[in-house]
Amino acid sequence: MSNIAGKAYAMNVITPIRPYTTWVNKFIFWIAVKIPGTLKGLITLSLIHYARWVIIGKDQFPHLDPKQPKEELNYTYMMFFSNFNGSWDQYVDSFTFAIPGGLDLFWKWNIRYSKSVPLTPFHDYIRYNQIETIHYYNAYPLAASNDVKSAKTVKSSLIKFEQDTRNVSGDNFLKLYNALLRGLQHDMGDMYPTPIVSMSAHQVERRQKWHAANLPEGGAGPTGGTAPKEAHGHSAKKGK
Amino acid sequence: MTKQLDLLDIQGNILRAYGRFGYPVARYVFLNVRNTAKGREFVGEITKKVTTSVEWGDGPGKIKQPDRTVNIAFTYQGLKDLGVPISSLVGFSPEFASGMKGRKDILGDDGPSSPEHWDPIWRGNRETREKDVHIFISLNALAGQGLDWLTVAEKNRDDAYAWLLDEINKTEGGVVLLDGHLGDDDANLNYQDVRVVLDNNGVPTPKEHFGYTDGISDPVFEGVPYDERRVKGRGKQMPGGTWAPLATGEFLLGHVDEAKEYPPAPEPILLSRNGTYMIYRKLHENVATFDRYLEEQGSKFPGGKALLAAKFVGRWPDTGVPLVKAPDAASNAKFGAQLLSLNAALNAAQKKGDKESVKSNEQAIDDILSDFTYDDDMSGAKCPFSSHIRRINPRASLEMMNEEGDKPGSFKVSKDAFDTPGALANRRRLLRRGLPYGEVKDRTRDDGNHGIVIMMVNADINRQFEFVQQQWVNYGNDFKAGNDKEIILGNHSMDDNFPSKAVIEADPDSDQPPYILSKIPRLVVTRGGDYFFIPSMTALRMIAQGVIDPT
Ligand code: HEM
Repeated sequence: MSNIAGKAYAMNVITPIRPYTTWVNKFIFWIAVKIPGTLKGLITLSLIHYARWVIIGKDQFPHLDPKQPKEELNYTYMMFFSNFNGSWDQYVDSFTFAIPGGLDLFWKWNIRYSKSVPLTPFHDYIRYNQIETIHYYNAYPLAASNDVKSAKTVKSSLIKFEQDTRNVSGDNFLKLYNALLRGLQHDMGDMYPTPIVSMSAHQVERRQKWHAANLPEGGAGPTGGTAPKEAHGHSAKKGK
Repeated sequence: MTKQLDLLDIQGNILRAYGRFGYPVARYVFLNVRNTAKGREFVGEITKKVTTSVEWGDGPGKIKQPDRTVNIAFTYQGLKDLGVPISSLVGFSPEFASGMKGRKDILGDDGPSSPEHWDPIWRGNRETREKDVHIFISLNALAGQGLDWLTVAEKNRDDAYAWLLDEINKTEGGVVLLDGHLGDDDANLNYQDVRVVLDNNGVPTPKEHFGYTDGISDPVFEGVPYDERRVKGRGKQMPGGTWAPLATGEFLLGHVDEAKEYPPAPEPILLSRNGTYMIYRKLHENVATFDRYLEEQGSKFPGGKALLAAKFVGRWPDTGVPLVKAPDAASNAKFGAQLLSLNAALNAAQKKGDKESVKSNEQAIDDILSDFTYDDDMSGAKCPFSSHIRRINPRASLEMMNEEGDKPGSFKVSKDAFDTPGALANRRRLLRRGLPYGEVKDRTRDDGNHGIVIMMVNADINRQFEFVQQQWVNYGNDFKAGNDKEIILGNHSMDDNFPSKAVIEADPDSDQPPYILSKIPRLVVTRGGDYFFIPSMTALRMIAQGVIDPT
C-alpha cells in the first residue's frame, strides 16, 4: 500500500450525507464551477494535480457480480478524490490554514463534519473517512503540479521564441532572449526527486537504490540521503 | 496585548534572545544521567537557579537583571531516564522521540552534513546508553559596561560553569558531563562555547561569520510584555499591511495556537503547559567557499558583489536593511546613515537613562529594519524568492498569482484568496536563539572552528522547524522554484550531475534577464544537534520530585 507516488499523494475520502440534503451539496458544486473566484484559494495554493468531488447515491455503488453481497446503505456519500503535492499533514494543514471557509462550504452538510478549524478534529475526520490507496501509478513522478504548469509555459514560450527570432538581428535576438528568460524566471526550477515524505521501510530502501544507481561516487545528490562512509563532500574520489 | 503570561513559570530563554539583552557570551553543556534518583535530585538543584521570563527592572513584579542565566532542557531519552512515566512520554511528538539524527532524511542532513561527520558528542548520541545526550544546560553571561566588557562576561560565565561542575560533582557519578564538542584545532571540549563576533578592534558586532548582520527578526506573540512595541514585521501580517502578535500556542504548549486549539502535548497538562520544544543545531560555515563563490558570481552579476551578497540573504550585510526597502546600494547607504545616527542617539539616551528617547529611537530603528512586507515585491525583483529570509519567513508572499494577461515572469497578490494574508507562514514561524561560535582565523580556509549554534523554539517541531527546513530550505515548490534550494542554507548538491542553482529574479517591467546562480556550493554544514523539551518551572519541580503522573 502507498498513498504516495513520486511527488503526488492520492487521497480518497468518502463521507456520508443525509439523502435529503444532497441537493445542497450539488448546488454548491454547481456554484463553485460556475462562479470563478470560489476556487481562487485552491488555485493559488497550486498543490493539486487533479481533484474531484462526486456524490454517490446509495444505490449507485458498483455491484460487479451477482455474488457480491448487497450492502444496505442509509446515506448518500460524497467522494473526494485528490492528487496533491506534499505529505498528508502538509496538504491538510495548507488547506485549513488558507481556505477553512472553502472546506467548510463543501463538507458542511456531511454527517459529523467537525469544521476545519480547530485542526485536530478535522484531521481526525479526514483520517477516519480516508480510504487508503492500494495501487497508485504516476507517469511523471518527478513533477509537482507547478512543474507541469511550468513545463507547459516553457514549451509554448520556446516555440514562440523560435518563431519570433528566425529573422532578427543579433541585438534584437539578445533582447528577445532576455525577455524570454525574464518571462520564464518563475518556471525554471530544477526537477529532482521529491523531498522525503514517507519513512516506510520500502520507501527508504527505494531511495537507497536510487542513490546507488544515480550517485555512484557517493556524493550527496539532490535529495540527499545516506552517503557512503567515505564521502566527504568534496570527495577525492571524484576525479575519473 | 491583553493576554497575561505567567512569566515566573516560563523559562527565560523561550521569551528572550539573551544576546539582545546584553549577554554576548554563553556556554552550552550536555549531560548524561546514570542514576535516576540522583539525576532528579540534580534537576531539583539546578531548577533553583533557573532563569525565568520575569521582567527585569525596578518596578513591581520585576527583578534585577542577573549576571548569568541558567536554563535547562531535556531530550526524550533524558526524560525517560529521569523517570517520566511512559504514559506521559507517549504524548510527546514522534519527531522528538526520534531525535535529530533519526530525522536526517527529512532535514536533508546528507553528504558532509550527515551524522557520521558530526562532532563526536552528536555522533555518539543515541547510539549507546552511556553516550546519550539527556540534559542540556545553557549558561549566558552578562557583559560589563566598560572596556573590560568581555572579561567581565567571561568571568560571569566561568563562575556559572564552576557552579555547574560543582553540582555535577555532588551527584557522585549520577550525572555525567559529556565531552566531544570540537573547538579550535579540533580540541575535544566538555562544552560548546558561543560568543558574538568581534571586529578587528575587538568591538562586539551583530554579525555572523559570513559577514551578515544577524539577530534582527524574531516572532512576536501574544503575552510577552517586553515585545509589545516590536510587533511590526515580527508578528503576523494582517489585511492592509498591519501586524498582530501571533497566537501564543505557536511557541508555548498549553496555549491556544493559530488553529484555535491547544497544540498536541503530553499529559498531564502541568508537564507541558508553559513548556515548548527546542531544536539545537550546530552549523559550520564554509567561509572560504562563500567568499570564493561570491567573488566569482559577483564579478558577473550585473548589480555587483555587494548587491549579490544582499540577494543571498534578503538583507544588506553591512546594515541589515531589507532589500525590499533598499533595493540598491544608494538606498542602502541612505538608510545606513539614518541607522548610524539613530544608534548614536540610542546610545546617548541609554547613557542618560532617558527612557522616552530610548523608546523612540528603538522604534525608529525597528521601522527601518523590521517593518516590511513583500507586497510590493511579489515577483522577487528586489528580494529573490530563494534568499534566506524570504524562504524562511515568506510573510504574505505565498498568496501570489499570475493571471492571463499579466506580464510573463510576474506575480501579484492573489487578493483574498486565503483566509488571512499570512495563512501559509503563520504556522511555520520559529523563535531563534543562540550565537555564533569560534573565530575565523583564516578566511581562505573552510576548516577551522566557526559557525552558528542556532536554537529554534516552537510548539511543533514537525509543523514548524522541519517543514521550513525540508519544504522551504531544501525544496522550492511553494516558491515556484521546483527543487531549487534556499541559497545560504540549502543542502546544495555536491555532485556534478546535479548542480544546484537559484534564480535571482529580474524586474518583469525591465529589459533585464534574471541572473542564474549556478553550481551553488554547500555553504553551511551541520555538525550536530538534537531536539529538546524546555519544561516550565512547575514541570521542572515535578520532574525533580518524581511526581509526574498522568493517571
Ligand atoms: C549558518 C547558518 C545561518 C546563517 C548564516 C543565517 C543568517 C541569517 C541572517 C543574516 C538573517 C537576517 C537577519 C535577521 O532577520 O535577523 C537571518 C534571519 C533568519 N534566519 Fe537565519 N541563518 C542561518 C541559519 C538559519 C537556520 C538553520 C534557520 C532555521 C531553519 C534560520 C532561521 C532564520 C529566521 C527565522 C530568520 C528571520 C527571518 C524573518 O523573520 O524575516 N537561520 N539568518
